[in-house]
Parts: sequence; C-alpha cells; structure tokens
Amino acid sequence: MSQGQAGASHVISSPNSMSSASAQFATSRRIGIYEPNRQISMWGDSFKADSSQNTGASTIVEADAKHDNRLGDIPLESPGPSKKYDQEANKPADKVLRRLAQNREAARKSRLRKKAYVQQLESSRLKLSQLEQELEHAKQQGVYVGGHLGDSSLGLSGTVNSGVAAFEMEYGHWVEEQNRQTGELRAALQAHVSDIELRMLVESGMSHYDNLFHIKAIAAKSDVFYLMSGMWKTPAERFFLWIGGFRPSELLKVLSPQLEPLTEQQVVAVCNLQQSSQQAEDALSQGMDKLQQTLAETLTSDPLGASGVATYMGQMANAMGKLEGLVNFVNQADHLRQQTLQQMYKILTTRQAARGLLVLGDYFQRLRALSSLWTARPHEPA
Amino acid sequence: MQQAIPYSNGRAWAPRRNGGGAVIGGRTAVEQVVVAARCATSGGEIRRVVEENPVVVVGRRGCCMVHVVRRLLLGQGVNPTVCEVGEDADEAALIAELPPSMAASGAAGSGGDVVGHLRRQGMVLPAVFIGGRLVGGLDRLMAVHISGELVPILKQAGALWL
Repeated sequence: MSQGQAGASHVISSPNSMSSASAQFATSRRIGIYEPNRQISMWGDSFKADSSQNTGASTIVEADAKHDNRLGDIPLESPGPSKKYDQEANKPADKVLRRLAQNREAARKSRLRKKAYVQQLESSRLKLSQLEQELEHAKQQGVYVGGHLGDSSLGLSGTVNSGVAAFEMEYGHWVEEQNRQTGELRAALQAHVSDIELRMLVESGMSHYDNLFHIKAIAAKSDVFYLMSGMWKTPAERFFLWIGGFRPSELLKVLSPQLEPLTEQQVVAVCNLQQSSQQAEDALSQGMDKLQQTLAETLTSDPLGASGVATYMGQMANAMGKLEGLVNFVNQADHLRQQTLQQMYKILTTRQAARGLLVLGDYFQRLRALSSLWTARPHEPA
Repeated sequence: MQQAIPYSNGRAWAPRRNGGGAVIGGRTAVEQVVVAARCATSGGEIRRVVEENPVVVVGRRGCCMVHVVRRLLLGQGVNPTVCEVGEDADEAALIAELPPSMAASGAAGSGGDVVGHLRRQGMVLPAVFIGGRLVGGLDRLMAVHISGELVPILKQAGALWL
C-alpha cells in the first residue's frame, strides 16, 4: 500500500509535472490504464482513448505496472493522494474521489478478466500439446490415425466411432508394450539368464497376446468392418491380412526354422500343428466364401421392384443378420490364432518358447519398419 | 456307418499317420458331397439323430458357421450329418432337452458343463456331437482339432478307421 502511495506522490512531486489540475488527471488515468495499455484491444477498456496522455508519463506507467496488484487493495478512502488533491483544489474533490474509486474498480475488474483469460489459454495450450504428442506417438507407431472418421466419402462409417478410436489408442499401447517385451527377451537370451526368469518373460508374452485378442473382440462388436479392413495395421502387415489378423500357419512357417534344434517328437508335433492350423484356416475361409455367396443371394431380386417394399425390407433384414455373422468369423479366427500360439507353447521348452516369442516380435517389428520406409519413400505423385 | 469322403484342397498332402480315406488331387470347386441334412424342430428329434449317427452337427438353417464345421470335419475324412433347426428356434431350449449323458462332454481333458459353456459363449449353435456325445461349439472343435485330440475322438466313436 505504501508503494502505491509513493507511486502517486512521485508524479505530484516531480518538478516537471503539469499544473495541479492536470496532475490529478494524469494520476487518475494512470491508475486505470497501465495494464490495458499493453493489451488495450483485449479489454475493451474505455480508457484506451486516453492513451495519448500517457506518452509523457510512460516511464511511470512501466514502473508502476509492478504495483498493480497492490493498488487494487487501496481502500476507497485512500488518504494520501486525495489529501493532497484537497489541499490544492476543494471544489472537484468529490468528483475526483468518485472518479478514482471508479477507476480502481475498473482496473480490478480488468485484472480479473485478464487472469481468467490467461488461465483459459494455459489450459488450452496444455491440452493442445498433449494431443500433438499423442498424434505424433501414434504416427510413429505406424498406426493409422483416424483423421477421416467423420468423412463418409471415404466409404467408411460416417459417424465418429468411439469404439474404433478407443481400439486405435489401446492397440498403439499394445504395440509399444510388445516392442518393449521383445527388447527384454533379446537382452535376456543374450545374457543367458536362468529358465525361471525366462519363464516369467514367456508367460508375460503369452498373456500379452491374450490382451490383443481381448481388445480385438471388443472392437469387433463395435465395428467389425474396421477390424477386417486392417486399417489399424501398417501397410506391409496388411498385405498378410487374413480375417482381421495374421494367418497362424504363416507365423509357424516364420517360427519353425528359428527354433532348431528340435527333438524328433517336437518336429512331428510342429508339423502336425502346421497342418491342423492350415485345415482350420481353410475351413474358416470357405465359411467366409459361403457367407459372401449367401449375402449376394439375399440381395438379388427383381430390380423392377415387382416384389414390393415388404420383400425389400425383409431382404435387408436378412442381409443385416448375415453381416452380423462376420463378428463370429473374426472371433473364431482370433480364437484359432490364440489356440495355435498356446499349442506351440505346449510343444516347446521354456527357452525355445522365449526364442519363439522373440522371433515373432522381431518379425512384426521388421514389417512395421518396412511399412514406414515404404510410406516415406520418394515417389512421383500421381 | 458312413464312408469317409475324400477331400482335397488342391494341395499335395503328406499322408497322415492314420491315412484316413483316399486323397484325390485337384481342387473341388463345387460341393460334391450331398449334404445329409435333416430338419429338427424338437430336442427329441435331435436326440434321435445323435443316437443314430456317429458325427452330427446341429445348426441353424443358413448359418455359415455350420459350413465351417462341416468343412473341418470333412477335412478329417468324416461326413457329418447336419441337423438343421429353424431360424427362430430357441437353441438353448433344444440343447437343454437332451439327456445329461448326451450333454456331458465326451472329449478328453474337459470339464463337465459343456452346455453351460456354450451358453456363456453366447453361441450355442452350431453344436457338434461325436459318438452320441456333445463335444461343444466351433470354439471347442477348433481347440480340440489344434491340440490333436480330434482324430482320436473320431476314431473312438468309430467315425474314422485306419
């Protein structure tokens, strides 16, 4: 409070100050203006018209800007300046007092508004940087970022699907964790750690794959076509897509040569597993073909519309039911993937299983890296 | 007993250890097998079919999963009898009408309540019966197939022979 008064008295005691009347004027203006002077347009402050008055007292404005908070605390009956004013001119005393009070009030409100605005800016900035980080993160993982979700012209669902967005985020985390686990396995195998430690890593790896199938099952209920499109995978991975995921027999082909040496028994077991998964895949593929066939049959009818609206509606309802069957196919395919992985786990020793998980994790990492390279390659625009 | 139907997916097969059925080369593009389908409207009818045939698949008419199950079993060299129920039939009720011995699982290493499991899965049909006993749904069939237990079960039921 004393500084405020000191500031006020600074003007008055200045030898070069104007006459008493204009000194009061300058002081009253100063109190209200030094903040808005910086961002006048933001506050819509009525004092801005008087900014020209401040050019001579600009140093005072800056010096007193520090004291703005304290000046807000000055009570209405501020003794210092008003006393001096009274001494110099009695008649306009009331007006001056009222004017001073109004100025203070306005200044205070101004400051509060500014504070609120700044806080809003700060939180928006924080949110923006968080979103940018997430976006960058997702792009690095090669995950397809759903910027199109609201755009129906791309042939995808016109409505923003929160299930899809949730899956994309969870899948991004899943990939991150898989990369971490792969690194851990690599280090562990190179360091020749004990079987007990390896077993723990293998079990985390297996349950991590279980997590993947779990989030896929939820996504399938939300948007099965999205899952089947493989848009959540990187391009190179998508090339190998089979009913919304990897083909188990393909994975076994990648794994087997890397697992040697295997016992005679293991070789037979792996061979049988390969054959079984191939057969199961064929059965599912043929089921899918059948689904396509029946769906097409359901939708064909007399295009001249002789059958009537009721038939049309019936057909559509029928077709809708068929489409829902797709969810079952994705679930069965994922179930097959899970069963194949678990059977491998049964056939192999702990050390072999650790190596197997490493091979798989590494393989997927390479596919993703390939996708990034492909996406970034220099090529002529179409 | 039903003959094992030869099935080929166009790939040269190494003979399986049980050598079930002759293998014909070349892709079978068209359904060459006559679908032995029966229509069932009650648990009693299903029961009769299951008792009379070693391998039975019960499913809804027009369900494509039934096709998957059939293809998988055909690949093992058996031709299952397909029992179709109406599209609006209450599947849980039909299965529940079966005698407990039939509803109990015949597959090795599994727990008791297969019907409960099917219900929890949310997909009671299609259901596979081998040797007069309920094995389970497609999930279960896949698991049993991958673990290598399917062929022994089929042999035990007399659906396959060496």
